[in-house]
Amino acid sequence: MSRKMAPVVIVMIEDDEGHSRLIEKNIRRAGVNNEIISFVTGASALEFLLGKDDGAAASSSRQFLVLLDLNLPDMMGTTILERIKNNIHLRRTPVIVLTTTDDSEEINRCYDLGANAYITKPLNYEGFARAIQQLGLFISIVQVPENV
Amino acid sequence: MTSIPGPRKSLSRNTLVTLTAILFLVGLSALFLIIGTTIWLGLRSQAYFSEIVAVRDFRSSVVELRSALLAAETSQRGYLLTGNEIYLAPYGTEKIIAKRNVDLLSRAIPASSPQSLPFARLKAAVDQKFVEMETTIELKRVRRDLDALAIIKTNKGKRLTDESNVYFAGLATFADQRLATASDEQNKNYKLLQLISLAGGIVILLVTAAAAVMVLRYARAIAASRDEVNALNASLERRVQDRTAHLAQLNEEVSRFAYIVTHDLRAPLVNIMGFTKEVEDSVSLIAPVVESASGSPASSIGKAHMESSLVALRSGIPEAIGFIKSSTQKMDALINAILKLSREGQRRRNIERVDLAAVLNSSINAVRHGLTRDNGRVDLKLEVPHMVSDRLSLEQIFGNILENAAKFRSTERPLRVTITTRRVVGDRVLIEIEDNGRGIGEQDQERVFELFRRSGVQDQAGEGIGLAHVRTLVRNLEGDITLASRLGYGTTFSIELPALLSEKEPENQ
Repeated sequence: MSRKMAPVVIVMIEDDEGHSRLIEKNIRRAGVNNEIISFVTGASALEFLLGKDDGAAASSSRQFLVLLDLNLPDMMGTTILERIKNNIHLRRTPVIVLTTTDDSEEINRCYDLGANAYITKPLNYEGFARAIQQLGLFISIVQVPENV
Repeated sequence: MTSIPGPRKSLSRNTLVTLTAILFLVGLSALFLIIGTTIWLGLRSQAYFSEIVAVRDFRSSVVELRSALLAAETSQRGYLLTGNEIYLAPYGTEKIIAKRNVDLLSRAIPASSPQSLPFARLKAAVDQKFVEMETTIELKRVRRDLDALAIIKTNKGKRLTDESNVYFAGLATFADQRLATASDEQNKNYKLLQLISLAGGIVILLVTAAAAVMVLRYARAIAASRDEVNALNASLERRVQDRTAHLAQLNEEVSRFAYIVTHDLRAPLVNIMGFTKEVEDSVSLIAPVVESASGSPASSIGKAHMESSLVALRSGIPEAIGFIKSSTQKMDALINAILKLSREGQRRRNIERVDLAAVLNSSINAVRHGLTRDNGRVDLKLEVPHMVSDRLSLEQIFGNILENAAKFRSTERPLRVTITTRRVVGDRVLIEIEDNGRGIGEQDQERVFELFRRSGVQDQAGEGIGLAHVRTLVRNLEGDITLASRLGYGTTFSIELPALLSEKEPENQ
């Protein structure tokens, strides 16, 4: 239990800056104080996570938790998920998928690709805030495995 | 019947009928002419033949009479010379033969004939000759040889024989002439028959050839127009297919467009709602501070200013936030409606055998309370027990329409809903749902199927998506929905659907 609050960095990949800000506010409200790094495009997020050579050597010493929006302007969210889960350094990184879609086919596909949780953004704000705060609680108790 | 324009000059139907009739008549009369003349010529030929036979008999009678006369004379002379009765033996026979032939000839020559006079003279000469011969024979028999000789010496017998020979020759010549004429006629007759048969045959041949040419031309024209019709059909089918594919593509594009738009519209809406909530929370944090500050004398801000800030915080800002919230909620509801509609348009159909009565009854049961309150009633007249379609879509279609019937009932009379189903041409099913509700004004009858449009007095909750949804569902089942209505009297929805919906989807993603 000593490693429970390891300095996990939350990587948020969300093209809507408003959403991103609201998510951050609600995570903070849930008492989670980990560093949050936001990206508005899939490409920049992948570059940060995987490095230029896909080796992810730069980030091998750090631990992440990824919040991933599926509707991104530059690439499919599922592609990012696939890339993370297929990378030897990152494959144990928890990925939480956030989207407005409730299409069951898409949800199943995300789980097949290795998503750890799937959260549908509710459209009323109270629901949204509640979901994010629960997510914050989830983040605060999650144990991010150490890299090998 | 429509005439098909041919590429070359073709026979119209009427011309063909007239021409065929004329050709038929020509051919038929040629045939009758041939038969008629053949019979006539045959009869004539028979007449000539009988005449020839008669003339031959006549001639042989003449010859026989002559030889009988000669033989009798020979017999008489032999007896007169020898007195031997042996010479007289043929005389009786020859006399009988001569008599018989005279009778035959007198029957063959009528009194009106030009030959009757010479024949009368011949007959007289023959009679006198026999009288002379018998007289001399009798005289010889009673041994008065000199008297007999004296009679012979008068040369009367010789004269009579010569005279008879002249008449015999005349009659024989006459008979020969008649024979020649008759055979001549017979020949002519035969030639005429040949000629007419030939002419008739040629006419019939020509008629047949003309008919054959006409039939061939007509057949060719028919074949040409059939090819043309086939070609038109093929191109029409192709055009329909292209058009259907194009429409399906457009439909899909619209659906996708709606889906993307609604998704993209939702994102800013979440922000508006979220940050409104943040503002609301912030205001509720500030308000008590300002309130307590306004009561404190240490305040450096003017009292009036302080109070107006408090009014803004207490009522102005919350009111504005209230409007923002209700507007965003309304917008959210509208976006949800569009999203639902676009999903219906893209939804995969689950095609199965559907018990139509069961589906209708379950749809009625879902809104039974609304339909039957205040003595409302639903009547079913179902002629189609089953169809192959998507059950869920049907339930939603009927449910929506029945819900509307219950909602927009007339306040003046108890609700009556009549549902009829029957088969119509093209293997389709017509479902009519008739109510006696408040009806829809003519100007609104097409509009009610549009999204967010409502008709009449707005006294019922709703967003105006029900019928738009119904129409999307019906079209997704390859059907069509129309309505007939009179304001104040009621509305009839007519839903026409294929009885057997095929599995083939217009497009699959």
